[in-house]
Amino acid sequence: MIDVVDLVKHYRASDGGIVRAVDGVSLSVSPGEMVGLLGANGAGKTTTLRVLATLLKPTSGSATVAGHDVATDPVGVRRALGYVSATTGVPDRLAPREILATYGSMHGFDGSALRERIDVLLDVLGLAGVADRPCGRLSSGQRQRVSLGRALVHDPPALVLDEPTSALDVVGSRDLMAFLERLRAEGRAILVSTHRLHEIERRCDRFVIIDAGRIVAQGTREQLGAGREGGLEDAFFAAIGPGAVP
Amino acid sequence: MNDVPPVPGRWQAVRAIARRDLLEFVRDRRTLFVTLLMPMAMYPVLALSSLLSVRSALDDPGAARPPARLVLAVSGADALPLVARVRSLPDTVTSGAGWPEQLEIEAVAFDAADRMRREGSVDAWIEAPRGTITGLDATGTVSLEVQLPDVEEVGSRARDHVTAVLRGLADDARRRRMGAAGLPESVLEPVAFAFSGGAAAPGGLSLRGVVPIAAGAVLVLLALLMATGAFYPAIDAIAGEKERGTIETLLMAPCSPGDLVLGKFLAVLAVTLATLAANVVSIALTMTVLLRFMPAHAALGLDAGTVAAAAAVALPAFVGLAAVAAAMSLAVTAASKSVKEAQNTLTPVILLVSGLAGAALLPGLGSSPWVAAVPFTGQVAVTRSVLFEADDPSRRRVGPADEDGRDGSLPLVPLAITLVSSALVSWLLLRATALVVTDEEILFRGPDAVTSGWSRPMPRARPTAWQGFGAALAGFAALWYVQGIAPADLARAILVQQAVAILLPLALLAWWQRVDARTTFALRWPAPDAARGLVATGAAALAGGGLFFLGAAALLAVRGTGMSPEAEALSRRLFGFMRDTPPWQAALLVSVVPALVEETFFRGWILTAFAGRSSPPGRRAFANVAQAALFALFHMLPERMPQTFALGLLLGWLTIRSRSLFPAVVGHAVHNAMPLALVAWAGDAAFDAELVSPLSAALPTEIVAAAAVAFAVGLGAFLGATAETAGSPRPR
Repeated sequence: MIDVVDLVKHYRASDGGIVRAVDGVSLSVSPGEMVGLLGANGAGKTTTLRVLATLLKPTSGSATVAGHDVATDPVGVRRALGYVSATTGVPDRLAPREILATYGSMHGFDGSALRERIDVLLDVLGLAGVADRPCGRLSSGQRQRVSLGRALVHDPPALVLDEPTSALDVVGSRDLMAFLERLRAEGRAILVSTHRLHEIERRCDRFVIIDAGRIVAQGTREQLGAGREGGLEDAFFAAIGPGAVP
Repeated sequence: MNDVPPVPGRWQAVRAIARRDLLEFVRDRRTLFVTLLMPMAMYPVLALSSLLSVRSALDDPGAARPPARLVLAVSGADALPLVARVRSLPDTVTSGAGWPEQLEIEAVAFDAADRMRREGSVDAWIEAPRGTITGLDATGTVSLEVQLPDVEEVGSRARDHVTAVLRGLADDARRRRMGAAGLPESVLEPVAFAFSGGAAAPGGLSLRGVVPIAAGAVLVLLALLMATGAFYPAIDAIAGEKERGTIETLLMAPCSPGDLVLGKFLAVLAVTLATLAANVVSIALTMTVLLRFMPAHAALGLDAGTVAAAAAVALPAFVGLAAVAAAMSLAVTAASKSVKEAQNTLTPVILLVSGLAGAALLPGLGSSPWVAAVPFTGQVAVTRSVLFEADDPSRRRVGPADEDGRDGSLPLVPLAITLVSSALVSWLLLRATALVVTDEEILFRGPDAVTSGWSRPMPRARPTAWQGFGAALAGFAALWYVQGIAPADLARAILVQQAVAILLPLALLAWWQRVDARTTFALRWPAPDAARGLVATGAAALAGGGLFFLGAAALLAVRGTGMSPEAEALSRRLFGFMRDTPPWQAALLVSVVPALVEETFFRGWILTAFAGRSSPPGRRAFANVAQAALFALFHMLPERMPQTFALGLLLGWLTIRSRSLFPAVVGHAVHNAMPLALVAWAGDAAFDAELVSPLSAALPTEIVAAAAVAFAVGLGAFLGATAETAGSPRPR
């Protein structure tokens, strides 16, 4: 469903130098699979996800979502992908219902079908009670759920989430991850980035560890953490090298 | 879960974005304040101050107020005969200036008169002691005491009317005394005269000289408020979204950047149009109040028909202006990384466009229909031209043909020009916005690192688009100021102009930003090998030289020999300089120096800044058009602008294709050297006629044909020589 092959994304630094934000990343996520993208700050996680979300153009390599190439068919990718950014990305002055209606309309829903879709989402996400309250007056957890609803309003088969729990408390994080498991069970392909390893350790099917724009390890929890007492965290630090160990 | 979501129509996404943004705008108090409340407060304040000014300008007390009823009480021994005398005054007296509309005069007792004055039931009380009538008929002077109410307004009005009544009484007494002395009344009237023709005397102050200025000021204010109306929504729509982190999710909308920008444009336009509506309502209401309190005899010189005609033209013209204001604000904010940066950039831009709007009030400017094509100037000029003749603002344009010399027609052609121009400018700005809004650097790199005001920013490979714009702006300002200090001697003037207007701002900016000179000024050989590089450079020379003659031929074909006095003076000066200066010196100053300096500035700094790094072809084309337009504007004279624009386009294209500045420098130098060749060819014949006979008539066909061939061959050879450079990956 999500296929990234030898993806390269270089930036030009303001002093004229080259920043290799993503340097040959290849990964894939199948339907009904949740993959965790792990890495320290600046490792290239967000850049990879932004390329998948068609917000950045790849320097080279390819990335496809449901068969749509991010470089040649960005609109097709956007129709097949739900994207939750690191910031919740919900406007303060709009209510959840209005936000879902906007994005639902953009994706071609209208009339009773749109209203029905919004009601279902609000109900599933536990936002029915605050559906008409401006987002500026919602809690971080509620805002994150609105953001997730926005990403799901067009019922995409693939979902990409960039550090979705960074602003949430423990309860909020647990609820969100539980909801993601439910989405996976529906058959969606989910790629989620985070550096809060404990949250996803037991929920993701596979993990991809990225450092300085390159994949340094990938596999299931067992494959990465087998024989290590510290589990995923030890595997992570082992993969990114001794210099990164705090 | 559906694998295939419904396919949205293009307009469905555009509508959804517009509706979403509009909802956000109307929930923002700043937007509501600027859109609705500011116009509602602004015009009444202005009207009030205008009203007070008009009232204070009415320095003739008799003319200052409309005639009103006057109630006079007369007491004293001669009260009755005095009242009878006043009542019997002839019509010639009672129709004079300041005479009350209705006079009620009664003889009453002293106490009653005093009481009536204090109660305010009379406007004035005159005490007429014994001997008053006798005194009037004798030869002395009768003193009368007039007591007025203590209320200032009543007292002031009554003073004017009582003065008129007593002057009438004095005139009547004068005639009686003349009759008693046996002298005819004509002794007092040595000259008699009467007016014929002309409009009816307004009997008060004419504001005809003031109204054109006031109407123009209102139109400029309207343009400014509309630009201000687009200010907050536009900043909120893009820079605000970036700052709040909502732009990422919005860019995930299943539509093109162009559609996204169009949706946002429609929302900002809706707010700007609401600003227009609020302004129009406020102006209409203010006018109603103003006319009610304006002195009745203060002639505005405008009638309802003229105002209606102005409104019929102003509304579509200002709808066009709203579109330009909305698109301009979006373009500026799209290039900003934060709300603060957008505010700091858009504020001076709005001040600049206010200057454009104000330029419409310059005397004589409105007479050219092409002024209508200039954004902000055109809309104001076209609307104003409905009210007043461009060449004589004191004359109204629209109205019955038998009055005031009006032609009675609406300026439909200028209106059409301004509407087409507004649509075109808006479209170009929206295209630019769509190119910039997805610029990765502006989207995701965040605001530049915080620096103190005096420390230089981090070095860059090439200038930013804003630094390109800033260089042009600084150059324009320097070009203007240098006119005041440039020496009379043309050789020195050229050097001073090039140094102060171009080299100085360029050097300061380059020093400040520490750009990479090789990247910014495209200091590369134009082709992979020396031979092809030489061919490319020679081809550029051919194209540049050919373009000079083609441009001159086109100019002569379009404009004939007609030249503005400024262009004629410059041509005379330039040709005189070329004739009287040694050829090497003339070539250096007319050809080599401008080519080196201007290419470094326009095709080096500005084009590189606008085009950015490895930009898409659309943005490169836009950058080329923009720098060519600035290059044309730099040459100031309208006659020269089409040719300099074409030259700018050619030189920009040469630079973009070859990624080298050298062909442009050579092409420019050869282009500028062509007048020298012309002088060498024509000799003194060039200066025999009134101006320059070979140029002012028509170019010989063989020269035009040779120029066309040179131009075509030059372009072809350049395409061939640079094929490899153009096809290789762009330098990073």
